[in-house]
Amino acid sequence: MVYEFEGKTEREAVEAAARELGLDTDAFDVEIIESQGGGLFRKGKVRIRVHVKDDVSSPAPVSEKLDASEVPEERVSASKIPADEFEQSMIEWTKGIIERMGYAAEVSVAFREPKKLGLRIDTDSASILIGKKGRNIDALQLLANVYAGMLGHEDTKIVLDSENYRLRREESLVRLAYETAEQVRRTGRSVLLEPMNPFERRIIHTTLNDIIDIETKSEGEGLMKQVRVMLKGRK
Amino acid sequence: MERDLVEYIVKSLVDNPDAVNIKVIEGEKSTILELRVAESDIGKVIGKNGRIARAIRTILSASASAQSKRVILEILD
Repeated sequence: MVYEFEGKTEREAVEAAARELGLDTDAFDVEIIESQGGGLFRKGKVRIRVHVKDDVSSPAPVSEKLDASEVPEERVSASKIPADEFEQSMIEWTKGIIERMGYAAEVSVAFREPKKLGLRIDTDSASILIGKKGRNIDALQLLANVYAGMLGHEDTKIVLDSENYRLRREESLVRLAYETAEQVRRTGRSVLLEPMNPFERRIIHTTLNDIIDIETKSEGEGLMKQVRVMLKGRK
Repeated sequence: MERDLVEYIVKSLVDNPDAVNIKVIEGEKSTILELRVAESDIGKVIGKNGRIARAIRTILSASASAQSKRVILEILD
């Protein structure tokens, strides 16, 4: 396996690599691919490529073991670097689409989870790229997942985000769920919410799951169903 | 512009990228893109319940050039 890391100095880059990979510094080979010396007021930058023998791969990241001297900013920049060819391809593909849409963007790794890869889009055109109710970013995400499948990673879910849209959308759905429950309780009438995708519906269901007198169910066909919020035991 | 975008997306999703062909018909108020792919790839471009075709059209309509002119994507078989 080959990974890339960077730091202000070669030593920092190597330490970042060891930390991210959960390996000792002598467990991999280091190749310097870019080196800019730092001046008195200028930050230096060193990019290294790390070759890990496949038999010693122990991927568990040990980010908790940071010493106090570590600057968090560097942790982020180290993990943002694509760790393998697949991540690199996904980043380039996403960037390629956005560029051809006529917008400038930077794409980087936001998070990695087992069978999940989060990509972050930094752009001045976030509002159009996200679209109304996330229409555009959801369309891009759907295609990104198909493309991941073409690369042989059909079991990896790709999550695209920009300006923390996913989190903001989740928060607004939780708020909507509570407000709707309150309205149902006040009027005694059920409320049918607008069509939502499975992920969004799940947020509504789970938010209201713990409220004793309220019940939710999905209505309709296809991917976009509507959630009905109602008093328990009543239609 | 729009043609590049559609070509880039479609070629990344099909098994036969060389068979992807797009004809651009420029109108006064709208641009029509006629897309042809290998017969075996049609399902890949359309997707279950038309999901993929819809996603491609959504992205197309969010592109910068589509803000001033209507862009229509037709998938021919």
